[in-house]
Amino acid sequence: MATQHSRAAARVMIAPSVILLLAWMLVPLLMTLYFSFLRYNLLMPGANPFVGFENYTYFLSDPAFQTAIVNTLLLVGGVLVITVVGGIAVATLLDQPMWGTGLVRIMVISPFFVMPTVSALVWKNMFMNPVNGLFAWIADVLGMAAFDFLTQAPLASIIGIVSWQWLPFATLILLTAMQSLDSEQLEAAEMDGASAWARFWHIKLPHLARAITVVVLIQTIFLLSIFAEILVTTNGGPGTASTNLTYLVYAESLLRFDVGTGSAGGVVAIILANIVAIFLMRMIGKNLDA
Amino acid sequence: MTTLTRALLGATALCTAAGLAAAQDDSVTLTIATVNNGDMIRMQGLTGDFNEQHPNIELEWVTLEENVLRQRVTQDVATSGGQFDVMTIGTYEVPIWGEQGWLVPLEGMPEDWNPEDFLPSIADGLSVDGTLYAAPFYGESSMVMYRTDLMEEAGLEMPEEPTWADIEDAAAAMTDKDNEIYGICLRGKPGWGENMAFLTAMSNSFGARWFNEDWQPQFDSEAWNETFTTYLDLMNNYGPPGAASNGFNENLALFQQGKCGMWIDATVAASFVTNPDESQVADSVGFALAPNKDGVEKKGNWLWAWSLGIPSGTDAEDAAKTFIAWATGRGYTELVAETEGWANVPPGTRTSLYENEEYLAAAPFAETTLQSIEAADPTNPTVDPVPYTGVQFVAIPEFQGIGTAVGQALSAALAGQTDAEQALEQAQQITTREMTRAGYIQ
Amino acid sequence: MARAVPTRVKARNTAIAWIIAILIFFPILWTVLTSFKTEATAIADPPVFVNFQWTLENYVTVQERSNYFRHFLNSVVISVGSTLIGLAIAIPAAWAMAFVPGRQTKNVLMWMLSTKMLPPVGVLVPLYLIFRDWGLLDTRVGLIFVLTMINLPIIVWMLYTYFREIPGDILEAARMDGATLRSEVTYVLLPMAVPGIASTLLLNIILAWNEAFWTLNLTAANAAPLTAFIASYSSPEGLFYAKLSAASTMAIAPILIMGWFSQKQLVRGLTFGAVK
Repeated sequence: MATQHSRAAARVMIAPSVILLLAWMLVPLLMTLYFSFLRYNLLMPGANPFVGFENYTYFLSDPAFQTAIVNTLLLVGGVLVITVVGGIAVATLLDQPMWGTGLVRIMVISPFFVMPTVSALVWKNMFMNPVNGLFAWIADVLGMAAFDFLTQAPLASIIGIVSWQWLPFATLILLTAMQSLDSEQLEAAEMDGASAWARFWHIKLPHLARAITVVVLIQTIFLLSIFAEILVTTNGGPGTASTNLTYLVYAESLLRFDVGTGSAGGVVAIILANIVAIFLMRMIGKNLDA
Repeated sequence: MTTLTRALLGATALCTAAGLAAAQDDSVTLTIATVNNGDMIRMQGLTGDFNEQHPNIELEWVTLEENVLRQRVTQDVATSGGQFDVMTIGTYEVPIWGEQGWLVPLEGMPEDWNPEDFLPSIADGLSVDGTLYAAPFYGESSMVMYRTDLMEEAGLEMPEEPTWADIEDAAAAMTDKDNEIYGICLRGKPGWGENMAFLTAMSNSFGARWFNEDWQPQFDSEAWNETFTTYLDLMNNYGPPGAASNGFNENLALFQQGKCGMWIDATVAASFVTNPDESQVADSVGFALAPNKDGVEKKGNWLWAWSLGIPSGTDAEDAAKTFIAWATGRGYTELVAETEGWANVPPGTRTSLYENEEYLAAAPFAETTLQSIEAADPTNPTVDPVPYTGVQFVAIPEFQGIGTAVGQALSAALAGQTDAEQALEQAQQITTREMTRAGYIQ
Repeated sequence: MARAVPTRVKARNTAIAWIIAILIFFPILWTVLTSFKTEATAIADPPVFVNFQWTLENYVTVQERSNYFRHFLNSVVISVGSTLIGLAIAIPAAWAMAFVPGRQTKNVLMWMLSTKMLPPVGVLVPLYLIFRDWGLLDTRVGLIFVLTMINLPIIVWMLYTYFREIPGDILEAARMDGATLRSEVTYVLLPMAVPGIASTLLLNIILAWNEAFWTLNLTAANAAPLTAFIASYSSPEGLFYAKLSAASTMAIAPILIMGWFSQKQLVRGLTFGAVK
């Protein structure tokens, strides 16, 4: 009886979240789906005739589409690799005894508090600018030609900027996980003559598996829709070198104001995001049950 | 759920009530969307004067970067979102929006506003069938700005009407990369209003055009090829690093720091580069008309006016008109002259300004500016006839999207990712694809 | 606890850690420093670090140009408001999922997270139309609603992972003592969950504070938060590094300071069930 009662209560408690999220998801989604079958351009008011899959074929046949998919994956993958590896390194370092831990930690987590627009603006203008940027000055001091980050390596530069923003998050989560590790286990291994590397590889890393999963999951969600950084720094260019899927949809729906094609692009993006989500769930599901 | 809904509804009701209350005490709030250019920011600083004259109209400024502004206002006007009462838009938007009925015609304005005084080419660009749909805040063409001291050092003299060959000679002579002096700075940042504004205007001076009379894209023409290779050669040999992300503002900063020998861009920049407070090279800037290819009569100068328009459906039409009359009237020009000096008044809108001795004395660039503006002809922008109007743009709704995509492709060539031929081929493809979809090409 | 660490090792660790931390922090430090320079000093070559004429002129200019305080207030209202509403909706849900898990719980959770993958640009126009029709454009209420919805999945999920760490036995014991559901939650569960809730709250305020797409696109003047404030300083005419830095500093300072002060609470909760 008690369980049945609590089950009913549980349902009532979950209901608001589920209903709200359903509405939040379904209403725009259905509208987007509907728009995606119309010829609908905000700049050309008038009848919006039903055009079947025309918008989809148009969006999918865009030469920029494939580049955008590849760029999206590179962007997400690149940032994940850098933040997870970097996060483990920095967390390991912060886990060591030292003076001034508090201050060091504050400095390390600070980038997480910076708005994406601000960090993109600051990196673009004050660091990566090939004439006035700090990097250009460093190159000059070292006697090298200034490297023009945002034109020569636009995607890599954006990966760098985004990684800087997310490194603190990864570090924090990995650090908390690390600190929960039983130090006796490590000491025992040390007694047995295991090298520092072996201890890291066989004891620390497996312990971190779950935290890494969490980092990957949360960051992927945010990284798939990276937009502000691209808009501020490169506008998706040069060419389409730094256009990701989100940016491509933006170009359709808010630059060309072609709501039909933009919606079709949105639907495609949602489908792809869900494929990624399914992969993630497989992965996470396993790790989170552990 | 229900409590939340109720809370939301309640809150909305409160907001509405607050709005009504505000309306009742007879004061109006105008929300003005504007671009973060120097002249607009100056206007924001001078609103005290407006408030004195019209204490019951309160001004709310939404100042945005150009691309963001354009997206926000277009979205708002096209959906009749009603978030703004006055919008800052340009000669590209006004005719299209006016025709759609998205703008309030500027009729019934105060008497002393005197629209006949506007420069004819500018007023034409802001009218549909003779009715003015937006008031020019400042107008611009483009011209060559160059460093007189560097030219002298190089033993060269800039002709008043240089050709592209003259420009190349001058750029070569002035470039001194070791000292971070680049012979020429041009726009490279992708965007229809950025690199494409320059390149389209430049292409006119080579006799190229966007479309032939059947709306067939012309990027595969010899004239475009020559335009683009000249541009690339200039920039690769004498341009600053990172040119592919330089727009108007970036180049302005470079020029003000003395890093550019020449800069071909908006005439409105003249007052910034000659302002000793901002520019390190203020006293050694010369001006010349935009260049042309030897033997082509059209020059590479464009025509643009940042203007103030009122979206239809605003609930404060009269107040908006009052504001526009203030901001684009002669009184404002005098106000700026009084507080900031004549050289800083918004240029390029009124004939009377160019007859004002004080202005002509304070602004060495005035004559070249006026000449450039008057020389631009939106209906016959290039040598061959075209089916569109617009000098540095094609006044059709699809152009924003096409222009920006083409701008991306051409900017990639400047960044060294593709070569001129590939970039133009891409431009041709993109344009054909979009124009076919839009139904221009059957 | 761990053995005594030789001073030499500790010194080495300290040195490396400080170097890395300063490198990571440097962009922020540089921005703050630049905000006190004149425009000319901001681009001086070679760059100057501290030995320049400090000036507040940029802050004055920025304050003259925009109504910083209103943007700031909007940011506070929107981020705190959306977080509190989000918590109010999420706490019961997370509680139920953690203590009365059903077969579908995990799927529901994952589905919730997947709603966050909806690309905002794709649904802007539909949402803009809805907002227009409901009169929600440029209102704080509208923004609070949107931000609540986009962060709700994260809130539910974070809370769920903490609640799961709370041993069920304690609840059993409380129930044996005849505690009602309400008192069970108020007196037993919540106190134990406070660190988790606190850190969810903090993390969510940060996320909401920094959200730059919806806040920029659905506001004009009245409800525009700091993200919109900063949008007017990107790439204006002429030299702008110092003014941009001042505006940036003003935009990030509040959340940065909050983050610094609450970093312990933030960290304490960020375990995501990793602690066993």
